[in-house]
Amino acid sequence: MNLRELTERVGAVNLIPEVGLTEATIERGYASDLLSDVLASAPSGGVLVTIQVHMNVIAVAVHAGLAAVIFASDRRPDEDVRQRAVEEGIALFASSDSAFDIVGKLYALGVRGPLA
Amino acid sequence: MKGWRADLHIHTALSPCAMDEMTPPAIVAAAIECQLDIIAICDHNTAGNVAAVQEAARTASAPLTVIPGIEVTTREEVHVLGLFASVESALAVGEAARQTLPAVTEISKRFGDQYLFDASGEVVGEEGKMLSTATSYTLEQTVGLIKGNGGFAIASHVDRPSHSVMSQLGLFPAEVDFDGIEISWVGVQLGRDSQFEWLNLPMTTSSDSHFLSEIGSGFLSITLKEPSFGELMSAIQQMQGKRCFVA
Repeated sequence: MNLRELTERVGAVNLIPEVGLTEATIERGYASDLLSDVLASAPSGGVLVTIQVHMNVIAVAVHAGLAAVIFASDRRPDEDVRQRAVEEGIALFASSDSAFDIVGKLYALGVRGPLA
Repeated sequence: MKGWRADLHIHTALSPCAMDEMTPPAIVAAAIECQLDIIAICDHNTAGNVAAVQEAARTASAPLTVIPGIEVTTREEVHVLGLFASVESALAVGEAARQTLPAVTEISKRFGDQYLFDASGEVVGEEGKMLSTATSYTLEQTVGLIKGNGGFAIASHVDRPSHSVMSQLGLFPAEVDFDGIEISWVGVQLGRDSQFEWLNLPMTTSSDSHFLSEIGSGFLSITLKEPSFGELMSAIQQMQGKRCFVA
């Protein structure tokens, strides 16, 4: 399932409509709020679910080669963070669901964690 | 005895998140213009520019005490300030911290330069470790590392929603032996300091400057015989549960 379809099914809002979404199939995901852990373990081409909205999320997402970040529990990044994501071409979404529920929905749609 | 102004948390352009304008002479000039008497240089996970700022201050137009410092990122991604009597102590903590960090990559370079300067502000090198990420030290180990090197350990911006003890751990761990807590200057304006009185630790504030224009936006007003590290720390230590700034 591609990112558009996946995030629509999960009910997440696109925070960066000005950036085109990748058509690639999203197969992997990761959930963590510790950015050093995301840096070390998030799967390239995957989606990150987090409540961290700090600027460093964008740097870490670029570094890990993530396709998108979904902010859980209605947390929204500041505009400068959003702008940086526009520049870097990282798709950002927000949802009022908890990280637990978002991950559950993604899993039900076939997205899995990183390869062991 | 005299009242002195101290801004104890200033980054140089060695921190990837700080602006390139944060050179030793520019920081010293901005501090003097803001009538600061004491500053501390606290870059992320390194003390590599402290000596250059101290040297820049020696030839400045007015007296300015530069305290060696560092802001360590713990394993839990909590920021902790260490302030020291000597550059050597700050460098020792910095070296221990940096050894646990991954190397800089082409991608991480895009998120900020990490410049080492001489006292005139010339770039003399670039840091090869990714200073923005977490070290391997736990919060307790980090405080131990700072104090083991004769330093003063302050929990950074405890009122802020990122990289603070409260944001990362949810509550204040009683077993960690902090010497003080820092309230962000924005938090001071909003009266958030009163939420932390119960910890019964000295409360500081600072500018946490990443831009030159931020220097002096938050500072301590403190009465000392002389603007030295020892005098300042013993004065702060006596302020258990009290503010070292004018709210």
